[in-house]
Order: sequence, then C-alpha cells, then structure tokens
Amino acid sequence: MLNDFLKHLFPRVVLKKNLRLTYTFCLGGMALTVLLTLLLSGFLLLFHYQPHPEHAYESILALETQIYGGHYLRSLHRFASHAYLFLLFLHSLRVILTGAYRPPRQMNWWIGFTLLLLSLFTAYTGYLLPMDQLALWATQTGMNLVTELPFGQIIKGILVPDAVGESYSLLRFYVMHILVIPASIITLVALHFYRIRKDKGILPYL
Amino acid sequence: MAEVHQSRRSVLKFLCGVIGSVGLWKYLSSAPLIPKPKLEVARKDVPPEGALVFDEQRVAVICSAGDFFALSLVCTHLGCTVRITGDELVCPCHGSRFDRTGQVLSGPAPRALVRMPLQIEGEILKVSLS
Repeated sequence: MLNDFLKHLFPRVVLKKNLRLTYTFCLGGMALTVLLTLLLSGFLLLFHYQPHPEHAYESILALETQIYGGHYLRSLHRFASHAYLFLLFLHSLRVILTGAYRPPRQMNWWIGFTLLLLSLFTAYTGYLLPMDQLALWATQTGMNLVTELPFGQIIKGILVPDAVGESYSLLRFYVMHILVIPASIITLVALHFYRIRKDKGILPYL
Repeated sequence: MAEVHQSRRSVLKFLCGVIGSVGLWKYLSSAPLIPKPKLEVARKDVPPEGALVFDEQRVAVICSAGDFFALSLVCTHLGCTVRITGDELVCPCHGSRFDRTGQVLSGPAPRALVRMPLQIEGEILKVSLS
C-alpha cells in the first residue's frame, strides 16, 4: 500500500522538454526536500528543547554541549531554515519570470504566496525559542512593529498575551512554530502539488 | 413569506461564527496578571542631578533640581532599552535620543519616555513597575 502511495506521487506522463534542468532548476523540489529536513530535524529537537523561559536557554546549551548529535542537529535545522527561505525566494522568482502564475495557475500562485508568508512566519517564531539576546530583541521590536498594522493590537494580544520573553508568549510562539504553522504548511503544500497535477504539470513552454 | 436573499440559516451561521471568533480571541489573548513588586530605592542612593539605572526592571530613577521621578527605559519606537550617556538617553537599536526628562530629541521615537508612578515615603522612593 505504501508502494502504491509513493508511486501515485509521480505523474503518469512527463513531457521530455520539461525535464530540462535549466527550466525550473528543480527549485520547488529542493525547497520541498529542505522542508522535509526541517520537519525531521525539528522533530528530533523536540525531544530536548524546553519551552519555558527559565529552561529554554539551558536546554539549548545542553543540546549544543551535552547531547550526542545535538550541535549537528541544531546546526542542520538552522542551516536548513536559511536554505529553505533562500530556495523559496528563488522559486518565486522563477515562477514570476516564466509566467507560471497566469491562468489556469492563479490559484496555485495564491497557495504558493501564502506558503511563503507562512514559511517566513515559522522562521520568525522559531527565532525566539533559544531565548538569547538576539532572539529576545528581534521579537520585542518585531511585535512592537506589528502593533502599527491595522488590528495590530489584537494580533499582538494573541501572539504575546503577557510580554515578550515571559512564559505564555514563549509557549505561544512554540505552539505556532511546531504545530499550527507546520500543519498549515503541510496542508497547503499538498494542495500546491495537487494543483500542479491538476493543471497538467509544469508550464509547457520554453 | 417574503423573498429574502439570505436564509435564516446563513444568518445564524454567521452569528455563531462571530461569537465563536470573539470567544476564541478572548481565550487566546488572556494571560495571568503577575503583579510586579514595587522597586524600592533609598533616597540617598540617587545621585543629585543624576540617575540610578535598573537594567532588569528597565527603569531609571532621576533626581533633577531636587525633584525625583522615574523614567521607563523602554524606547517608544520599538521597545529596546535606552542607555544613559552623559546628558542624554540613547537607544542602541535605531538611534533615538531623549533628554533627561524623557522628551524626544531626535530619531524615530514617536513619543517621550513614559514616567513611572513614584511615591516618596520618607527616605524610601517607591516606583510602580506595572
């Protein structure tokens, strides 16, 4: 059954000219691979990170020094996050430059753009988790900036119920980072690929 | 019955949606209020024509012409902690400058620094931090 599931992920027919590397540079595909890396490394980091202000930084230090493979895993997760955003940027650029947002692919462009925003937001919420100076002040200034948006106070009230660096807000960012946004991203990625298949594959020109 | 373009069901659904959203918002934005103890400073510890800075509480107790007041050190721009340098308070994040009464001298800060309520009880100054 697993085999059939994996097989169905591949299209029945692919135009030979669409396989040319210099068309899409496989950017979307690479972004997907990096996303899988992030999910897996993040999952493993879950076992050691403690989402409470008093223990968060210590748990990160423990990961770096005491836990076997901790430094590697954390580095992998951070590097993958940089690579992910970079590849998403290049992928968006490719889509724009090849006109792959035009009808009948407009819906997929919206899905993709939402994915980009969600990915940026995941990266931002993950940034606070180590609770070091960089994390704290990035979040402090960012959340103050959010208040300038329309409904900014309400958005900030939900993201930071007490104050940046306090227990409720750290937990909130943690839940956003490991559950809410990844679940949304996975759902939308599935939809993103569904739409590509429905639109008969990658744009058949160039 | 009159022809209406919206059914009763859709109106009820919408109202349930609104009530549900408001309930969810209130649930998510509430957090316990932990009362912060007042900061107590001995009057003699504050240098005359100077400031006593409390980094963790982000407050400076200032004595100016015999008057005591407490300035919040949270920059009114995006919330970094301002530093006292000479006669000015400077924010390290985006360069806002304030004078010793908290008024904005230059930079992106939109408002003066907040004054925290300060009570003088004999030789002790008490600053409310919340």
